[in-house]
Amino acid sequence: MATPESNSPGMNRRSFLRTSAVLTSGLAALAASLAPLRNLDDFPSVEKFLQKYYKEMTPEEMAKVLKRIEHDVEKQYGLRPHVRDLRPMDGVEFVYALNLTRCIGCRKCVHACVAENNQSRNPEIQYIRVLKLPHGSLDLEKAEHNSDPAKVPEKGFFYMPVQCQQCKNPPCVKVCPVHATWQETDGITVIDYDWCIGCRYCEAACPYWARRFNFTKPEIPKEKLNLEMAYLGNRPRKQGVMEKCHFCIQRTRAGKYPACLEVCPVGARKFGNILDPNSEVSYILRTKRVFIQLKEEMGTSPRFFYYFDV
Amino acid sequence: MSLNLKTSAVLTGLSCAFLALTAAFLLNPWGRPQAREFIPLVDTNFLSTATVRQSYAELIRLKADLSDFDCYACHEKGKPPTLRFDTNQVLIIPTEHANLVMGHGSHNRNNNCFNCHDENNLEQFQTRDGRALKLSDSTPLCGSCHGPTYRDWEGGAHGRTGGFWNKASGETTRRNCVECHNPHAPKFPGRAPAPGPHLLHPDAHIAPETHAAH
Ligand code: HEC
Ligand code: HEC
Ligand code: HEC
Ligand code: HEC
Repeated sequence: MATPESNSPGMNRRSFLRTSAVLTSGLAALAASLAPLRNLDDFPSVEKFLQKYYKEMTPEEMAKVLKRIEHDVEKQYGLRPHVRDLRPMDGVEFVYALNLTRCIGCRKCVHACVAENNQSRNPEIQYIRVLKLPHGSLDLEKAEHNSDPAKVPEKGFFYMPVQCQQCKNPPCVKVCPVHATWQETDGITVIDYDWCIGCRYCEAACPYWARRFNFTKPEIPKEKLNLEMAYLGNRPRKQGVMEKCHFCIQRTRAGKYPACLEVCPVGARKFGNILDPNSEVSYILRTKRVFIQLKEEMGTSPRFFYYFDV
Repeated sequence: MSLNLKTSAVLTGLSCAFLALTAAFLLNPWGRPQAREFIPLVDTNFLSTATVRQSYAELIRLKADLSDFDCYACHEKGKPPTLRFDTNQVLIIPTEHANLVMGHGSHNRNNNCFNCHDENNLEQFQTRDGRALKLSDSTPLCGSCHGPTYRDWEGGAHGRTGGFWNKASGETTRRNCVECHNPHAPKFPGRAPAPGPHLLHPDAHIAPETHAAH
């Protein structure tokens, strides 16, 4: 007579132990596979998750969002920033002009921009790329990007800093599937970092290599953080969103010149309101004769003009 | 019995497989991010907005040492210094002014001190059109010979305007000629460039992306 223990269809002691060993190790494997979630520190808060589209927010809602951002930055860096939502001014359209006769390719603008706009230091994100080209050539594909001579300028070459051209007809805006990037009335194409889904269509659409993607979490030493911030400007970005030059919104919409201009030792960079006939950009577009708008044949109509002193 | 043996073999196998998975997930030998190249922070000198030199006006403002500009500490009033030239008509710089490097224009075309300084009053400049200017007010002096550049400077195309573009928000500053040009040797000196981008493919000319992209 068989004992009920050995051949009953129910549970006996041995098979219970065996099954639970399998179950336990299976659960352990599951738990371990979820372990990376422990490192997820910037999990969006409920408010952030429910935040409205930039253009639909009331001033009160915006004020709350700005407070939340200040709080988040303080939590991460231990420093309280001043975050503003600066809007375009009436009667202002920004234009940039860059004197190629003057530029010596020293790259001070690149690093002043990184410092002003809280760009990641490692991995390196830079909005400005200084191209080195032989005299008489404008073949950007042949330009050198990381030349490192002992001294600049070098005989026989000229230098062309390229950044977002703030097009009147921006291809990047057209391809954004969620309207996270758009052109404002003062001509600046902005990005709402809280709305961007990181699909990188805009990066592919831009003919000027102006857009940068945060593949990893940006890394900025706390003591290098610029605490004067703007919502559509230099507030810290997160992993998985696009960023690019925004003509230093936090400065220019407060009436100041952009950081790249202020640091230029030769005075090659010019910025201002093209609707003001007395601005220096108006003077330049009126009096200088040789201009280049990069890849103008693409119909982008850049607000960034390169000129020669002749 | 053989059924029992089979079950136990399968269950032991499963347990081992799960334990191996647990170990793999925890140790994570494949999923670690690649070690990043170390990128040093840029030298803060490259972030300085200062111009390449300080003008007399700036030195006054900063209450710096002004002895170089105190001409009559050495010279005698009413006794203009005499210029001496070598056999090639090149100006000889006296040892007391050895810190001056002269080289204004190709072939030193504008090296004559009294094209700018007033021989009868060393503490001022004289322009070609007969105006007298203070030593701290040299920009119109430059303008008196460099008309087109001066017009560009006034329009904001030459030199550097800074501060506020919007005069309603603050002051627009305009750098003077001698903050960028040494009046005696005005050619702009070369300088070391700031570090370039850390490209992933340094040879690929068109690769616009840095390490961030991969
Ligand atoms: C440290 C004393 C000292 C000071 C300060 C000084 N000088 Fe002189 N300078 C001399 C001496 C010495 C000579 C040579 C003798 C001479 O020609 O009188 C000289 C010569 C000159 C000459 C003739 C240069 C030549 O190549 O022959 C000029 C012009 C001149 N000085 C202008 C000035 C002016 C302008 C200032 C003030 C901005 C000035 N100096 C301040 C000592 C000085
Ligand atoms: C008396 C006339 C005169 C005055 C004043 C004058 N310059 Fe010049 N400058 C010249 C001449 C002449 C040249 C040479 C032009 C040439 O070679 O084509 C020149 C050339 C230059 C150059 C071109 C670089 C070079 O060395 O060839 C610069 C920059 C310059 N001057 C800056 C200035 C500044 C800044 C001032 C004011 C401190 C000034 N100049 C005052 C006559 C003058
Ligand atoms: C192109 C015009 C020009 C010429 C030519 C010129 N100077 Fe000057 N010099 C200036 C200006 C402008 C300053 C004031 C610069 C400043 O604000 O930093 C100056 C400053 C000086 C100073 C006082 C500051 C210093 O740099 O040491 C001396 C001394 C001087 N000059 C001597 C001379 C002598 C000597 C010569 C002739 C060999 C000469 N200069 C030729 C324009 C000129
Ligand atoms: C922000 C700096 C800056 C200021 C301010 C500035 N310049 Fe220049 N200037 C330059 C540079 C850089 C060059 C290129 C010269 C070179 O490569 O040697 C230059 C070139 C020149 C030249 C040579 C001609 C040319 O266009 O290449 C003249 C003349 C000149 N400057 C005069 C002036 C005068 C006059 C003033 C004041 C009214 C002035 N500069 C103010 C930076 C400046």
